[in-house]
This record gives sequence, C-alpha cells and structure tokens, in this order.
Amino acid sequence: MSTAMNFSSKSFKPRAPDKGSFPLDHFGECKDFKDKFMRCLKDNSYDNSLCRVQSKDYLECRMEHQLMAKEPLQRLGYKDLIDPPSPSSESDKNT
Amino acid sequence: MIMKSRISPFSQSECFRLRQGLTSGLVMLLPLLLRPPVRYPHTSALLVQCVRTQRCKTGTVLCSQTEHFLRLRIPLSPQSRGNKNQSRRSKGQEEDWKTRNKTVLTYIAAAGVGMIGLSYAAVPLYRLYCQAAGLGGTAVAGHDTDMVETMKPVKERVLKITFNADTHASMQWNFRPQQSEIYVVPGETALAFYRAKNPTDKPIIGISTYNVVPFEAGQYFNKIQCFCFEEQRLNPHEEVDMPVFFYIDPEFHEDPRMARVSTITLSYTFFEAKEGQTLPLPGYSYN
Repeated sequence: MSTAMNFSSKSFKPRAPDKGSFPLDHFGECKDFKDKFMRCLKDNSYDNSLCRVQSKDYLECRMEHQLMAKEPLQRLGYKDLIDPPSPSSESDKNT
Repeated sequence: MIMKSRISPFSQSECFRLRQGLTSGLVMLLPLLLRPPVRYPHTSALLVQCVRTQRCKTGTVLCSQTEHFLRLRIPLSPQSRGNKNQSRRSKGQEEDWKTRNKTVLTYIAAAGVGMIGLSYAAVPLYRLYCQAAGLGGTAVAGHDTDMVETMKPVKERVLKITFNADTHASMQWNFRPQQSEIYVVPGETALAFYRAKNPTDKPIIGISTYNVVPFEAGQYFNKIQCFCFEEQRLNPHEEVDMPVFFYIDPEFHEDPRMARVSTITLSYTFFEAKEGQTLPLPGYSYN
C-alpha cells in the first residue's frame, strides 16, 4: 500500500516519533501502573479521556525509573491535570 | 527532532510536468490568438464595413487602425493592373507589412517572456496548492512539539483507534496489542500498549515500523514516543509491555476530507534485525 506506484494515490509516509523510542521496561518496574491503566480502560469501555490520570501516573513512573526522558507534564499534554487545585478538581471530574 | 515541511521528489517532477504543460498549451494557443488574416475578399469587405459602422467606443484611433489593417491585408480591388498602382501599393504595403510584422513580433516576444515567467511562478503556486490540498504526501505545516502543550481537545469528535500487530514471517516473537480499540478525541494525548514475548531460547532483536489507515488520516496521527524504528532486544523467554504515546492533531476536526472518518487503525509490524543493522529513520537526515 505504501509502495503503490499510482500517480494520484496518497501513500502513507511513516514519520519518526517526536521524542524517539521508549526504552524497554525489561524489569517490569512500571507494570503496576500499566495494569491500573488497562483496568481503568476496561472499566470505562476504552475511553481514553476517563483514564488520563492513570496514563499520567504511568509516564511519571517511567520517568522516575529512567525509562523515559524527564519532561514537564504540560509538554506531554497533561496541562489540565496539573493546574492549581480548584480548576484541577473540576478538570479531573471532566476527564 | 522537529520535522519541517519538505517537498518530496515526487511533487517536484509533477511541478516540472505542470510547467511543461502550461508552456506547450499556451504556445499552441498562440497561433489561434494571432490568427492569420482571412483569405476571402468578400468577408474582408464585410469586416471593414462592420468595423466602420460599428463606431467602436474604445477610441477612434483603434477604429482607424483596424480599418487600415483590414483594408491593407486584403486588397479590396484584387484585379487592379497598372504598374504605377502596383508599385505604389507594394511600397506602401511593404512599409505597412514591416510595421505590422514588428508589432506582431513584439507581441510574440512578450508572450514568450510571459510564458517563461509563468513557468517560474508555477513552482511556488503549485507548492501552495499541494499544501492546501495535501497531494503527493507533502508534510503538513506546523507540526511541532510545542503544539502539544497548547492544543485543546476537541471533545465533540470521538474517534475510535483500533490496533493491529503483525510480525514478519521469520520473526518469532509473539506480538499483540493489549487493547483492541481505544476512544480518543483530537488534541488529547493517549497511551496504548502492545505486548511482545520472545518464546525462543536465544535473544532476538526486533525493529518495527507502523502504518496508519486511512492514509489521509496518517498525517494527523502524531506519535510523541513509541517503540518503532529502533532496535529492541528481547532476551530468551522475556515478555515486555511496549507503550505508544500519541495524539491526533486537533486540525483533524477542521479538515473536510476527514469529516467521515471515525475509525483509525494503527498497525505495527516487527521485523527481525541483524546485529548492527540500522533502519533508515524517516524524516531524519544522515551525516
């Protein structure tokens, strides 16, 4: 499909990820967080917006164990989850 | 690494073709525009009369010039004999023909220069058109990591992302997604997991690539971090979780071509990598 030689077909061009590749979690250090996230997804019929706190926890675990480059969470799209307390409780309810 | 907008070689050859087409098309139209004058005397007489009686509003100069032009192109009295008449007429005619030729040549030269200018202008015009229409796989402008911080989720558009996992025939890993689908909205970062297990007794190094279907949605599918394009080594009987951290560009919601897209499929394929082999990373330059 991506090698189709048609003139007018739009072929898919894979792009490298912005921050590169995740190092593999060989020792399962963040497995608990991942299990929590997966359970949350299953309970909420796989709706990502309801499980953002768990995904944030997983990424924080990765950063702690040197499995991910440390980045402020706003740059990963979690700005609404780390706002000052009063709006964040509202946004937590929304997400 | 931020990917700037980049023209693929494919669209440059298209540019060249468009230029050629424009030039040849307009060159072909030139003879039609500067039509050779009519050969039939009676139609020419009619023409001259038409022009005279028309009282063209663009100015008497133009009228008289057109009359003059038409009268001299075709002699109205075709059979006049007499050398004096002929020589007088031929001298006058020659002069007029000369001036007429000069003007025609000037017009042709101007048109030629215009064609060349148009063919140079076609390149940036075509580039703009490509970016607007998304043809030929040109990169979407404005994709950078700072946007992740400022983008707002488009909550009214829910998209279903389905996951697919494949391995190459000779690759012995067990590779599968841990969730069959996930519902996201554009502008919101999402996390998804795959699991890979090496059931053999020797370490295997894998390297993966991905594909997004439908292709047009692929330009909006941005991965912040994943496990592709780099070698991943699994020891014997080891099982790991492989996360993919991605988001759909909020501009997805404004693209009219994506209005009917509600399911996007992300498909990863693992290949076995030989020791020291590097897969060319798309979008990176090599030194």
